[in-house]
Amino acid sequence: MSSSQTQNQPLQFQQIGLPAETEELRAQVRDFLRSEYPTARRRNSDFTSGHDPEFSQALGQQGWIGMTWPKAYGGHERTFFERYVVTEELLAAGAPVSAHWIADRQSGPLLLRFGSAAQREKYVPAIARGESYFSIGMSEPNSGSDLASVRTTATEVQGGWVINGTKLWSTDAHRNHYMVALVRTEAPAENRHAGLSQFVIDLHKDGVEVRPIRNMTGNEDFNEVVFTDYFVSADDMVGEPGNGWAQVTSELGYERSGPERFLSAFRILVELVRSLQSQASAEQHARLGGLVAQLITLRRMSISVAGMLQRGDSPNVEAALVKELGNNYEKLVPEVARLVLPMQHRSPQLQAALQDTLLLSPSFTLRGGTREILRGVIARGLGLR
Amino acid sequence: MTDTDLSTRDLIIDSATRIFSDGCDHGVVEAAQDGVWPATLWNTLVENGLLEIGLAESGTGHGELFEFLRVSGRFAAPLPLLDCLLAQVALGKTAPATALAELQQHAGQAESIELPWPEHFEAAVVLDVAAGKARVVSLAGLEPVAVDAMLGEPVARIELGDAWDKAAASEFAAPDLYALAALGRAAQMCGGLEASLNMAISYCSEREQFGRAISKFQAIQHQLAVLAAEVAASQRATDAAIHSVEVSAAAGAQLRTSDVAVAKVRVGAAVGVGAEIAHQVHGAMGFTMEYSLHQLTRRLWSWRDQFGTESDWATFIGAEVCAGSADDLWAYIAQHG
Repeated sequence: MSSSQTQNQPLQFQQIGLPAETEELRAQVRDFLRSEYPTARRRNSDFTSGHDPEFSQALGQQGWIGMTWPKAYGGHERTFFERYVVTEELLAAGAPVSAHWIADRQSGPLLLRFGSAAQREKYVPAIARGESYFSIGMSEPNSGSDLASVRTTATEVQGGWVINGTKLWSTDAHRNHYMVALVRTEAPAENRHAGLSQFVIDLHKDGVEVRPIRNMTGNEDFNEVVFTDYFVSADDMVGEPGNGWAQVTSELGYERSGPERFLSAFRILVELVRSLQSQASAEQHARLGGLVAQLITLRRMSISVAGMLQRGDSPNVEAALVKELGNNYEKLVPEVARLVLPMQHRSPQLQAALQDTLLLSPSFTLRGGTREILRGVIARGLGLR
Repeated sequence: MTDTDLSTRDLIIDSATRIFSDGCDHGVVEAAQDGVWPATLWNTLVENGLLEIGLAESGTGHGELFEFLRVSGRFAAPLPLLDCLLAQVALGKTAPATALAELQQHAGQAESIELPWPEHFEAAVVLDVAAGKARVVSLAGLEPVAVDAMLGEPVARIELGDAWDKAAASEFAAPDLYALAALGRAAQMCGGLEASLNMAISYCSEREQFGRAISKFQAIQHQLAVLAAEVAASQRATDAAIHSVEVSAAAGAQLRTSDVAVAKVRVGAAVGVGAEIAHQVHGAMGFTMEYSLHQLTRRLWSWRDQFGTESDWATFIGAEVCAGSADDLWAYIAQHG
């Protein structure tokens, strides 16, 4: 055989488990959900599906937002493993987490890493309290997967910048306080990734119009956000001018590897078990068991990435692998479950979970990077590009 | 885990990789397909103590055993390594002429087993999975009948007849032995998938069509990305199961079968997807006897059916889940960290 058996593997998922100390925290989260929010459960475990400021503030009071951040900015200096336990328990329980989700997952870490001292003080403690919510401003009408082609511009004026253009698919921009927008601060050059910068946008100021777009589930979650001569102070630029691309890509490890990338269909499994319970056939056990085996493996991969984040690595390729497999899995679950139990044997709860998940499922492989983009990232990690 | 354990394992992985690199080339695997026992390779493994892995007196445990099997899978080693090593684990002593085998019971026929390299073996630890029992059967006087197997090594079916009834019970718990064998196959498949991915990447980076390496085409890149994802999932599932088996062995605790089940299910599923892609990106070259890819894939396709298919082990998981309440499903998932 060739030398191919001895090449270094490009993949780095370490065998790592959650530290035993996290079990106490897990119990606390479960107790909290059971006693404080027994009815908070959604019909699926999707992180975009429940916007509940009261719930987010209660989580903030528990210290479960901004968990890994410095105490000086309202954080709790806990580990990525502890954060992992909280996020997965919330999702598995179907808790309404969407208000604070983006701020906790990526806007806060972005501001802590690249933002000015004034920005950190202004925004981060309020995020950690569960009071301040952020949306993502990346895509545009003519810029989806090709993010570097964004056309929204910021033109420098006395004391700040004037923004013109349109952002698209910004989840919860009609409910949230702020957006971190990626815009062009210099004309496009040969290096497509140059000349991009990020700003914190106050979504309630003049010059910005937020138009909800109904998605196919019937909900209004994402938005078109139009900027018309929107003035933003120079103090609201995040990081250095022109550093936007590097900053945006630094968020990917956080954005793509978490349990929200494979738990969106979890409610189906719970209701399937409830419907099957004692009278299941061997074949039904096999179909269910196959889905459970995949879920356990995805979770282990995702925990490995949490370990890399804890070490300060940038596991962008590993995160893309988790998202690629996880999103496919979320789409597979309803396909398998519907064949395990025919219509007449499904509980109303199972049928509701199936419907909600199927209607939402086209978004799984689109949001946070399409399947096509992720496969490109993985291919680059394999040295093919 | 102590540093000593780690270095023992690394030494074994290095040593096995070197021996297979030197002595398990395309020609050796090809000759085995024609029935030539790879005596030199086997003897080198024996001389280096690698056929005592997993026995307490060799200072190695399950972790080393399964890592060694993973390396053997990477090289499509045409030897009954799992068969020998796990029979020894069951017997608790060196027994190079004893194989582990699954009892086969076809309706209307006598109990039988299938063995690779039947001439090599004098006895078998036979697992009766349905009954949860294992027996040590002498093969003396029994007639092996050659089977047309895709494995790429001589395989024979042996009817046990009276020998089964007369055989002594094995003291090693049969369900645990079955799980260890399933994990051994998962580890070998994981190695074989890793090698398939590397082979596919190398081939696509060298093969030119339309004036450039085919690895530059997005259609190829995306297939390799899917293959890589299957390999990554296989590695993670296998590593976790090996870790679980080691931890329970070190604590003298019951083996957690579900961790092994997850690995056999996940890696077995990866074989279906992964072998298909590895062949597709190789084009017709990968379909030739001359090229090495089939030496990996014929083994992957054989191993996924042995010691429990994905379906068998998924049934185990599904039944375990359904034995609990639906509201405890998440707790079940979270316990498998």
